[in-house]
Amino acid sequence: MDTTAEPIALPGASAREPHDQREHLMFDPRPRGEMNAMVMESMHKTSKKFWGVVIFLVLTVLFALLGAWAYMIAEGMGVTGLTRPEYWGIFIVDMVFWIGISHAGTFISALLRVMKYEIRRPFTRAAELMTTFGLIQAAICIFLHLGRVWLGYWLVPYPNGRAIWPNFHSPLMWDFMAITTYVIASTMYLFMPLIPDLAMARDRSTGWRKSLYRYLSLGFRGTEPEWKHLKTAMNIFAFAIIPVMFSVHTVVSWDFAMSTRPGWNSTIFGPYFVIGALHSGIAAVMIVIFMIRSTMKNMKYFIRPEHFEFLGKLSLIVSMTWAYFFFNDYLVPWYGGNKFEKLLLDFHSNGPFAYVWVTMLICNIVIPWLILWNKKWRSTPWVMLLVGIVINVGMWIERFIIIPVSLNITRMPFTWRVYKPSIEIPLTIGTFALFMLLYMLASRLIPLVPVWEVQEGQSAHILRKVGKAVIPTVSNVD
Amino acid sequence: MSGAKSRNTPSKWGMVINQDLCMGCQACVAACAMENNISFIGEQDVNTGRSMQWIHTERFWNGQYPNVYTNFQPILCQQCGNAPCESTCPVYASVHSDSEQINAQIYNRCVGTRYCANNCPYQVRVFNWRDYSRPVPLNNQLNPDVTVRRRGIMEKCTFCIQRIHRAELTAQTEGRQLQDGEVEPACVQACPAYAIVFGRLDDPNSQVSQLAKQGRAFRLLEELDTQPKVIYLTGDSNHGHNG
Amino acid sequence: MADTLTLLALFAEIDPSVSAIDKLHEMGITDEKLNVISGIPLNHDVLGRPNLRTFIPRLAMGGAMIGLVAALFLIFGIPGLYPLTVGGQPVFPFPPFLIVGFELTMLGLMGMAFLGLLLAGRLPSYEPKVYVPEISDGMIALVFSCPVEQQAQFEDALLSMGAEQVQPVEASTL
Repeated sequence: MDTTAEPIALPGASAREPHDQREHLMFDPRPRGEMNAMVMESMHKTSKKFWGVVIFLVLTVLFALLGAWAYMIAEGMGVTGLTRPEYWGIFIVDMVFWIGISHAGTFISALLRVMKYEIRRPFTRAAELMTTFGLIQAAICIFLHLGRVWLGYWLVPYPNGRAIWPNFHSPLMWDFMAITTYVIASTMYLFMPLIPDLAMARDRSTGWRKSLYRYLSLGFRGTEPEWKHLKTAMNIFAFAIIPVMFSVHTVVSWDFAMSTRPGWNSTIFGPYFVIGALHSGIAAVMIVIFMIRSTMKNMKYFIRPEHFEFLGKLSLIVSMTWAYFFFNDYLVPWYGGNKFEKLLLDFHSNGPFAYVWVTMLICNIVIPWLILWNKKWRSTPWVMLLVGIVINVGMWIERFIIIPVSLNITRMPFTWRVYKPSIEIPLTIGTFALFMLLYMLASRLIPLVPVWEVQEGQSAHILRKVGKAVIPTVSNVD
Repeated sequence: MSGAKSRNTPSKWGMVINQDLCMGCQACVAACAMENNISFIGEQDVNTGRSMQWIHTERFWNGQYPNVYTNFQPILCQQCGNAPCESTCPVYASVHSDSEQINAQIYNRCVGTRYCANNCPYQVRVFNWRDYSRPVPLNNQLNPDVTVRRRGIMEKCTFCIQRIHRAELTAQTEGRQLQDGEVEPACVQACPAYAIVFGRLDDPNSQVSQLAKQGRAFRLLEELDTQPKVIYLTGDSNHGHNG
Repeated sequence: MADTLTLLALFAEIDPSVSAIDKLHEMGITDEKLNVISGIPLNHDVLGRPNLRTFIPRLAMGGAMIGLVAALFLIFGIPGLYPLTVGGQPVFPFPPFLIVGFELTMLGLMGMAFLGLLLAGRLPSYEPKVYVPEISDGMIALVFSCPVEQQAQFEDALLSMGAEQVQPVEASTL
């Protein structure tokens, strides 16, 4: 496992800095015990600022989410800005947004694992946690949206004395099936690679933490059969959850595409939404790993500029793909669509929300294309944080344009009305606060870096001399 | 492989609205509100577009000054044969009634997802955004044949199904068939111009079927193939203006 | 019954541990009697050990079948029991079956794969087991039983192959 060979410059090359492979995590191995200690320390070390933020978030969740929600349940949906014809508003925007965010976790954890992108290793768990917590927020947003939320359980297919089951003709039921599948699958997929790390935490903890990790790690030791079963199950999951990921956001998009509304009844919504989900999700991962790297101890060893650089490259490709789908969705009605769809496009770009629509295009296309082509900027964490935030703002706006703004225009002009949100804003802020709160609390309890996967990757990366060059190589020991 | 066939759904109860006769007095709106226990929303909510009118009239201005005239179009639930609202309700609160061939709204099943209202191309569905109060003595005006809906429930015109059932039961007890014109929804009963006619579209001799065969007859948003049961007769006869 | 004890040898690197496994084979410890416990998964080819079979894929396929049957019931069974007409669509809708069928099949597949992991690994189990915390620090442990008299022999052999330490262990709670 020789990784200390000095890279040799090619003959005739100018005197430039030979590339130090040690700036890559996979070529900068440390003893596993040291990495374990670093991860455990990052979990334990908190500061007053941390708990101050947690208390602030708890208060926000209590008032902006739970308090406002209780008021809305008691008073009725009338306290929102919803009306005819926009029966669906910011709650559905938030739901689609959170489901979109959750797709990045699966993308990074499953798709990159299947394609053997070793660079994913340190941040798979951070992404998977984002998936689980994002789906929790999406579920909350669905409940927020229901007019009689106390009867929401009627969407569950179960034998009952009323002799009536849910209606599977409805895209909302397909949604329910898809999201349930995705939540259960991604939680299992988060848990499985976590078991060995929980075992490590068990070995290095005392007191109530030790009991907690002892129970959660299920008695895992690392015997050959245990690893064999774990890797087999993880492989099945990695392959199976990728089509589920694609199908979930496609099914969510069909909530809109199956309807008759002008601007919604578009066949391109399936792939358009999936790419949109990847776009906002990858940007959210950039934000999350920046936060982890800059606020948690020892994380600068695990999360490096190379990871931001990789995510930035991915984000640029996805941004171009998103632009392709957006233009497709725009061009077809513009060219020869029915008069209401043309009116709708005009309403988007010249109506009262025109500034929002333009902001969306700037955030989703212009800024990524201006910044992400440059390798040096891609490798600068704070630049990527800003790009991540900008993209997420743009993608939230995209769903806002598609849902409440498009609903303003119908085939019955007497019903046209501009949407003015009211209690939806604090409730949205509440879901963001809950997401951040859950993540911060999880960072105290769950090792955010899958150390066994990092060590596995490091042991597979070697520097090999080919001719006069030293080539980084990855061996495939699966 | 043969092309897609238009699904011709059976007809039973239907309505013809004669726009030539309608003068926009909104007696139908008031009668419907009284018959069906519709809540009083208040000015603020009506201004935000939440008016709960199961039937509402739309007014179209035609012509140039001084030859300006209006066309009124009462819009109500079209009771579509291929109703876009029915397939989207996740809990079967909006189903097709096979015995009346209209779109039934089951109030106590509705969980308020509001997908049906989004999908209605005519935007005739109405949602209970709040619990509205009915100060004494307005509560005495409630119709015992119709459920009172609370917040979170979607509602819409039902062709006064309670009146259909009452007439059918009366005819059954009297041991006879229903006559054409015996069933009158509240809007039909209230209209002073007899602009709305209601009856059996599957009976070729009923007044409704005869009117529906006229050259002036059209359906709203026909291109969507919703197969509505409400037929409109155009009112573009210049309303007696000369020249 | 001869007295046996359980020896645990810790190695820091893969190559010495593989040579040690060969040495143990020479000394009479067959593959079935030897346990290799490690902090990262080590491929059986790397270690020179037999390939272990796992029934998880077959269980997962069974789970997929269960999911498919559940979808069949929801889309075709229930409208058969309680038919309701909606939207001019057929009572038994086929395209929704494709969607719901796919989702529930995948849920069944993955759910049973996870349950298979628990069943196959006999997890969760909290009884006392042979283990040392150094394993999760990246050490490779070779665990085997040997007669008490031969303890010194094995210890010397393994230490000479590069073991960090060799010690007798008892099963203890983890």
